[in-house]
Amino acid sequence: MKPDERSFRIALVADRYVNPAPGGLDALAVLAQAGWGAMQLPADDYPAEIAARVLAEVTEQAEEFSRHGYDFVLIGDRDGLAEALAAAGLDIPDQIVPSGAAELLGFLNARPAPGASTWSWLSRS
Amino acid sequence: MGDGREQRRGVAFVAHCLLNQNSKVGDGAHCAGIYSPVVDVLRARGWRIEQMPCPELAFTGLNRFWAVREQLDTTAYRRHCRRLAAAVADMMAVRAGRGEDIVLIGVEGSPSMGVHVTSSDPARGGLPEWPAGTPELTSGEGIFIEELRAELGHRGITAGLGGETHALPGHDELTQRTRLESVLAQPGEPVRRGPGGTGGGKPPIRRGPGGIVPPEEAP
Repeated sequence: MKPDERSFRIALVADRYVNPAPGGLDALAVLAQAGWGAMQLPADDYPAEIAARVLAEVTEQAEEFSRHGYDFVLIGDRDGLAEALAAAGLDIPDQIVPSGAAELLGFLNARPAPGASTWSWLSRS
Repeated sequence: MGDGREQRRGVAFVAHCLLNQNSKVGDGAHCAGIYSPVVDVLRARGWRIEQMPCPELAFTGLNRFWAVREQLDTTAYRRHCRRLAAAVADMMAVRAGRGEDIVLIGVEGSPSMGVHVTSSDPARGGLPEWPAGTPELTSGEGIFIEELRAELGHRGITAGLGGETHALPGHDELTQRTRLESVLAQPGEPVRRGPGGTGGGKPPIRRGPGGIVPPEEAP
């Protein structure tokens, strides 16, 4: 069986870094380079009730990752995220509002290894 | 573009795991986090990316077993998928209302996110042991995709359909890229309302010498 390549590291990412304006920071490229997964936060142009539903779903999934020891960070910000996470007993994770790719990469690479990476039942390379 | 062809741009709603392989069932993660081949195509074509939720993650958890459609096809799981589908459809409705093209990119072979190829084995259950190489891949949609397409059909929203094939035997990245570019070039396939089930009416999967070949887009 092919080894499981997951990193146990996930970034909650503001939409403006997932869909950057021309010349803006492409966080997906940096996350791919650093070996992190992404969970996209809703764009600011969605109506509030739609954004709230999306944030609730993001929170539900973040809760499952968190209870298994996956590492989380927040890239950028999103109105309503703190309230959604708090409803599930989660805090805002360590956050960065990066000015460039190098700063974001340095932040990601400086994180300690997450506890979940000790899962022994996965096939690892 | 310079070649006289107008490049269409829109919004691609992608399966959660294409941006976060950490959500995969154990031993199913193909890379550390972001599956870049899909992102690269969307970036090159100037498409906006929207990540859909993983229906299996929140329902059956990170320690879930590998499963086929029949094991997930319960009233409770369909209710869960319908709730998620309604939220995704709300977002799509906003984009469609602005005249943006929409494409849905699932994961072929998945019991939940398969677009043309899903996993099926009516006999699977009980102690999770079965012979290696059991032919579970079959033509049809995953349960979440089925529920989402039904929801879009109710709302009259059209979306193109594409399926990432990295989980299929014989996956070829260049072929996958060409197929995805083709979907992006003509994203307006109408969403058909149909009964629940296994995606009836879809052409059968083809088994080539290199492995499973997803059927072309339905006419």
